[in-house]
Amino acid sequence: MYLVAHVDTSICAETACKLCTQYCPEANTILYDNDKKTAFIATDRCKACEICVSICDNMAKHSAIKMIMITDIENPFELSRNGFKPAEWNSMPRPAVISEKEG
Amino acid sequence: MSFDNLKMSPALEKYMTKEYRDLVERGPYGKPKKVSEMGTFKEILEEHPMCAGCAMTLFIRLTMIGLPNPEHTILVGTAGCGRLALTQTSIPFIYGNYGDTNAVASGLKRGLATRFADQPKDVVVMAGDGGLADIGFSAVMHSWFRKEKFTTIMLDNEVYGNTGGQESGMTERGAILKMAPKGKQFEKMDMIGLAKTANVAYIARVTPTNPTRVASTIRKAVLIAREIGPTFIQAYTSCNIEYAIPTPKVMDDAKEVETARYGFMEIMSDEAREYLESIEPAKKPKAKKSESEEAVTAN
Repeated sequence: MYLVAHVDTSICAETACKLCTQYCPEANTILYDNDKKTAFIATDRCKACEICVSICDNMAKHSAIKMIMITDIENPFELSRNGFKPAEWNSMPRPAVISEKEG
Repeated sequence: MSFDNLKMSPALEKYMTKEYRDLVERGPYGKPKKVSEMGTFKEILEEHPMCAGCAMTLFIRLTMIGLPNPEHTILVGTAGCGRLALTQTSIPFIYGNYGDTNAVASGLKRGLATRFADQPKDVVVMAGDGGLADIGFSAVMHSWFRKEKFTTIMLDNEVYGNTGGQESGMTERGAILKMAPKGKQFEKMDMIGLAKTANVAYIARVTPTNPTRVASTIRKAVLIAREIGPTFIQAYTSCNIEYAIPTPKVMDDAKEVETARYGFMEIMSDEAREYLESIEPAKKPKAKKSESEEAVTAN
């Protein structure tokens, strides 16, 4: 199992900094939904370098991005499966972290 | 390449990959995109095998945004890390032999200028510090002396990253690397100074700490290379593997290096500045300046 970045959309939607989208070294990995006003991650492309985490924590000071185990993400967005279709993003379920299970 | 090359034949459309269709429909071709729009359009760069957290990849990604006309651009590169990402762009890429990138680009640019007399075609050389400052050094210098009209971009990671960490001419003095255990004995080559000596029309030194500035620098360099003469960009793109930088700290390192010794620098010839001002609408502060200058002269 491996870690991928995950954007807390409730924090991100209140800001409009878009800094993570500009500093990610991978192309089309941090996407920006103009309707929901939030960034989100294409989990199949994320290489877990954590640059976006440090940008969000230190430069933007929002702390909206965390590294999460891939199996703990509900409704992950995968670019290779969904393709790049911004018109469909609004109707798609939001990726969320599955609440931690005991044991 | 042109827009026609991008269009899909209707009969073959269903066989095209998802990525290609996305690029044609929602790519930056014909509708220039800004850095602030990143993440809302399909980028020219696709998935690539570069290491996680590589600053060079970020620089290449921003370069693709900065290109004024990606559909009329040809990239020339050589062995090194950069080509791993450059080959994954939807821009023609020529893999030169080690050392001859600028010689290939010279011939290519002249050929394109003859073949497409009414359409400017941009040639952009993107190679590492080893490919340009060490092995390709003579070809680089002579292309500058001959005033060849193309852009040379040096991805300066200060090491031969792809072959296990040998020192290059651009490595800092004293840097200890896997294949330079005693530390480098000599100073870092002054490529900016050499470019000045060769009267390169536009010289810039950047770090990828400011994405908008990187994109605008690339744009200026490519535009000036169309009409005026050779342009050169030296970009600090740290190797987080050979210099053992933890990936979350890659940007912190770039900032430290920027403040310590690699600050943004731009040298433009007067001719290049006039050309840029003639094609780009003057920005507000500049307009104010010219007004005040006019006022001074009127007085």
